[in-house]
Parts: sequence; C-alpha cells; structure tokens
Amino acid sequence: MTYAMSEIRSAGRPRKKRLSYATVEPWLYLSPAIVLLVAVLLVPLVIGISYSFRKFSAFKSEYVGLGQYQAMLSDQVLGQALVNTLWWTVASLFFQFFLGLGLALLLDKPFYGRKLVQAVVFLPWAVPSFLSGLTWAWLFNPIIGPLPHWLFALGLKAEPTNVLSDPATAMWGPIVANVWYGIPFFAITLLAALKSIPSEMHEAAAIDGATPWQRFSKLTLPFLAPTIAITVMLRTIWIATFADLIFVMTEGGPAGSTSTVPVYIYVSAFKSLDKGYASAIAVLLLVLLIAYAIALIAIRRSLVRHV
Amino acid sequence: MASVTLQHVEKDYGSLRILHGVDLEIADGEFVVLVGPSGCGKSTLLRMIAGLEEVSGGEIHIGERLVNDVAPKDRDIAMVFQSYALYPHMDVSKNMGFSLMLKKAEKTMIDGRVGSAAKRLGLDSLLGRLPRQLSGGQRQRVAMGRAIVRDPKVFLFDEPLSNLDAKLRVHMRAEIKALHQQLKTTSVYVTHDQIEAMTMADRIVVMHDGYVQQVGAPLDLYDRPANIFVAGFIGSPGMNFLPATVEKGGKVDAVLADGQRLRLPDGLPLKDDDKLTVGLRPEHIRLADDGALKAEVEVVEPLGLSTQFYIKLDNQQVCVFAMGRAGVKPGQTVRLSADPAALHIFDPVSGSRIG
Ligand SMILES: Nc1ncnc2c1ncn2[C@@H]1O[C@H](COP(=O)(O)OP(=O)(O)OP(=O)(O)O)[C@@H](O)[C@H]1O
Ligand SMILES: [Mg+2]
Repeated sequence: MTYAMSEIRSAGRPRKKRLSYATVEPWLYLSPAIVLLVAVLLVPLVIGISYSFRKFSAFKSEYVGLGQYQAMLSDQVLGQALVNTLWWTVASLFFQFFLGLGLALLLDKPFYGRKLVQAVVFLPWAVPSFLSGLTWAWLFNPIIGPLPHWLFALGLKAEPTNVLSDPATAMWGPIVANVWYGIPFFAITLLAALKSIPSEMHEAAAIDGATPWQRFSKLTLPFLAPTIAITVMLRTIWIATFADLIFVMTEGGPAGSTSTVPVYIYVSAFKSLDKGYASAIAVLLLVLLIAYAIALIAIRRSLVRHV
Repeated sequence: MASVTLQHVEKDYGSLRILHGVDLEIADGEFVVLVGPSGCGKSTLLRMIAGLEEVSGGEIHIGERLVNDVAPKDRDIAMVFQSYALYPHMDVSKNMGFSLMLKKAEKTMIDGRVGSAAKRLGLDSLLGRLPRQLSGGQRQRVAMGRAIVRDPKVFLFDEPLSNLDAKLRVHMRAEIKALHQQLKTTSVYVTHDQIEAMTMADRIVVMHDGYVQQVGAPLDLYDRPANIFVAGFIGSPGMNFLPATVEKGGKVDAVLADGQRLRLPDGLPLKDDDKLTVGLRPEHIRLADDGALKAEVEVVEPLGLSTQFYIKLDNQQVCVFAMGRAGVKPGQTVRLSADPAALHIFDPVSGSRIG
C-alpha cells in the first residue's frame, strides 16, 4: 500500500515537470516553420498595412494617420473601381461556375473520345495568363481578329468595331477571356467531386422513382454543395484580385471602364507613385474579401449539415 | 406481391458472357437466395431483375408483366444494397419517405408509413438522425425501412449483411426472416455465405461462373447435391472428396488409391474400372472398431458441443465430425466406417452426380 502510494507520487511529480516541457517542445520543432511563415507572410503584410498610414512623395514619406483612408471616401475613381470589381467578379464567376459545372456533368458520363475532350478542356489552365490576355485582345481586334466580324454577321453589333475600345462594352472582353481561362478550374474540381458520389446512391434513387432532374437537384447538388461553397469562395477571391488579363487587354481603360480595384492599386502605386494610397486600397480590398469569406463559410455551415 | 420468372436470361459485357441463360421461377411470396462464389454473377442477375443492368438475352417477368424494357422505378421493386446507399444529407425519416415524397404522396400518409416501418425495425428514436450518426446495424435497418415503406411487389437484397460483424449478422438474419414471414413479400436475396443461404431460404439457387448449378430447398441441396461444385459449396465443414475406382466382386466397392475399400450402394449404373469421385460428409464418417477404413488422426478440434478431427486417408486430409467428445488424439490410428447410403458418387470428369 505505502509502496503503491509512493509509486504514484513519484510518478506524478516528474510528470508535472515534463508537462511544462511537453507544452514547449512541439513549438521548438515547429520554430523553423514559424520563423519562415512570419518572415514570408506576416512581415510583408504588416509592412504593407503600415504603408497605408503614410504618404509617399518623390524623396520622402511622412506619417499621416488615417489620412489615406479619408482620401478614399471622396475618391470617385475608387468608387467606380469597386463597382467594376463587383461586376467583373460576379460575371466571371457566374459563367465560369455554370459552364464548368456543365462540363463536369458532361465529362462524368462515358462517351466516345472522352479522354481527348477532357485533355482539351483542361488546356486553358496551362496557358500563361499574359499570353491568353494577348490572344483574346487580338481576337477582339477587328484588324487581325475574327470576333468583331462574327458578332457583326450575327447582328449583335452594328459595326465590326473593337469591343474593348467602347467603354460600354469593354469589360466584356476581359470577362470572356477570364471565363475561358477559369472554366477548367471548376470543371476539374466539380468532376472530382462528382466522381466521389457512389453510383449505388443514384441507383437507389432511380428505384425510388427519382427522375434525372430530381436526382440532380436532390442528390447531386447537395452532395456537391461543400465543394461548391469552397471553390466559389476561393475563386471569388482569385478573380477579384486577378488583374493580369485586364491589364494586358485594356490597362483599365477606356476611360476607366475596366479599372478594377487591383488595377487601380497598380496604377496608384506605379503611375502616381503614391504607395501609401495604394496600400490603403489594398487593405480595403483585403477587408472586403475577408468579410465575404466569413459570410460564405457561415452560409456553408448552416446549409451543409451532412459532412 | 408477385412472382418473378426468368427465361434464359443472358448478360454480356462486350464479348464477355457473364450469365449463360438463367432459367428460374420464383413463386409469389417465396424467399429465394442466390448463392455462389465471388464473381459468379449473382449481383448482375439481381441488378437485371431490378432494371439496373440491361438484359442481353432472354426475358424477365415480374407477375405477368414482361419487364425487360421497364425502368427500375416502374417495376415495383425495392432493393437493399450492400453499401446501403442511404442519402447522406437526408435524415432517417426523409431517407425512408423519399420514394413516397417523389410520388407526391400526402404528408400524413408518408409519416404514417415511415412511422410504422420505423416501429417495426426499432428505428423510432432515430428518425431525426443523419446516416453518418448511425451505427452500421442501424444504417442497415434504415436501408430495410426504405424498402419496406414502398410496399413493393418484390424485395431484392444484395449482400445486405456483409458489412456487419458476425454477431449482428446472425441477429439481422433472423430479423429479415421474421420480417418476411410477416410481410410475405417475394424476396430475392444475394449472398456468398452458404450459412445465410441455408438458414434464410425457402429455395436456394447455387450459381457458378454464370451458370445455375442447382435450385432447391436447402436440405435437398444438402442431401442430394447435383454435382461436385454444389456438394463442396453447401455445408460447413465441407464435404470430403476421394478419387476411387470401381471394383465389382459380388458387391460393388470403390477402391481408393491406397487400396482401402468403400462399400457402394447397389443399383448404380457402374462397371468395373470406372473412375469415381466419392463424396463423404464429415458427419457420415463414424468411429467404429470394426470399420473398414483405417487412418491416422492428424489434427483434433474440440468445439465442446462437437469435435472435428482430420484424418489422413488416401494421402488426403479428410474431415470427420462427431457429436460430443470423440476421445481421439493426434497420431492415433483409428478405424472408421461410412454408411453406403450416405455416400455421394460423382463422375470425376463432368462432376455431375451418379448416385
Ligand atoms: N461493368 C462490367 N464490365 C465487365 N465485367 C463486369 C462488369 N460488372 C461485372 N462484371 C463481371 O461480371 C462477373 C459477375 O459480377 P457480379 O458482380 O455479378 O459478381 P458477384 O457474383 O456478385 O460477386 P461478389 O460476390 O464478389 O459480389 C464478374 O466476373 C465481373 O468481373
Ligand atoms: Mg456482388
């Protein structure tokens, strides 16, 4: 009995000591990764945010507090850029998603030559964005590209002019290019999710009397919902911050009609040389996107109970 | 309720024939078990009855109706899958009521049917749960409930118990059987487990390589297997097979390779030097001091209620089954006898039964 007691006590004491060491130990192993993360992720972020409280001019910078943020409030170009960003993001996402979903559903069914179609469908992703931007810009150019003439022939345009040079239609140019560029992403991820649906579940539904449409809406869609939520979220953020195509095709013009927030940030930083103002806008975009992500994750939680 | 009739049903995958003309009549209210080793085509046949696989040849009737080209939902059947195939995002009651909901049945009617099926299966308290919140056995019950709620003409089961542990399997086996006795719905049940087949079936269909080997009541298959395959497949521990040659001298004997003799029943179409395969069920070999067979005991497996031991006969391990304690030890040489009437005699070339 006494032996047992002392045994327990002696076993208890060093454990307490080891516990404190045990709490530190994993952090020691993680420290190289943490140092790397801090250096690579946090430091630039903090520096970037700190820039947004300063004003830069040719040879000096000064602390201006919330001055840059105040300036944003009365910046009409920024307001236009925000509207453009919303339009650019929603339209690109909408078409990328539905066309990608359609393709994924198509590729989920066996047909002759599926492998080839699959390879071709996924090709746009492998093309560098600058190259696809240039190619689409040329396609829209009536001097070398066929698209304006086709649109004219179809009666969609009164004259075979360049879509990109008319402020009313210019945004459609980069959106079309972006849709083409982004479909493979949705097609690949949704196809992978579709493949994970057990075929017996569809067979059970077929026996239960579900029509193909009911099988899609009542089984496939709920099954895809978690994937859809996460891919839509990721894709929104990517599209909203994606400036390559716009920059290559229109540089934000004509008359600022395709200037999205990232384009405006670039212009502010490198053309008007006010890094402080550019940083402040970047922080605004960051906050908006984080708010969006939080909202989407909350919606996903309440909708998707089964995973 | 309805009968199911298969007339020369065939299935090809490309140039590969999986089912070679299956003929089967399943009476109204009967519980038929399709049994056979893995890959013999049981699931394929069941799925053809369900309408999930196309029929390459022959005819399938459910009741009077030819259903070859009828969609699964219009065949008035219900199927329980091995994976259960529950809808993961619907709770138990929605899973069970899904088919009625699709038929636009009234809510009170759906709730009533789901409720009574749930009560029958002991699922009352689980109706609000999602499939992932259920144990394997509970999921299995929900799958059964989903079938019952539809009140179909025919139940189809594809190895519904193979994902359960041994104890639960025995329990659910009895429950399914009891359910069938209450509902009296025609049922086709696929399994590769011959014990399930023996305990549940009104009639068993033994399949092998896409051919039906034999159809019959469990004990008929046990007592008079039509060929070596059925004889070896049905029964556990399995039948022993010994090659032998016929020798007629007054009585008919089968002579084993090592010279030992087994008396054969009279009146079989046999002549001298015919080659035979003699089948001996383990329980039909008895220890007897004046027995004609002599062999050495190799392994003894005492099970309490009974004893199984293996003897070296004709250079083969032969299983012997005795009730109680047999009182034999490994290494001991024993004398045994076999009742001629209990022998199964097969043609070693075709494998089919001679007597
Ligand atoms: N889609 C298919 N294409 C080609 N061959 C197939 C296909 N489906 C099944 N088979 C073949 O058909 C045969 C019968 O398959 P089936 O699933 O009916 O076997 P089973 O008797 O149910 O076996 P198990 O007990 O393993 O489930 C197998 O040899 C299998 O390889
Ligand atoms: Mg099977």
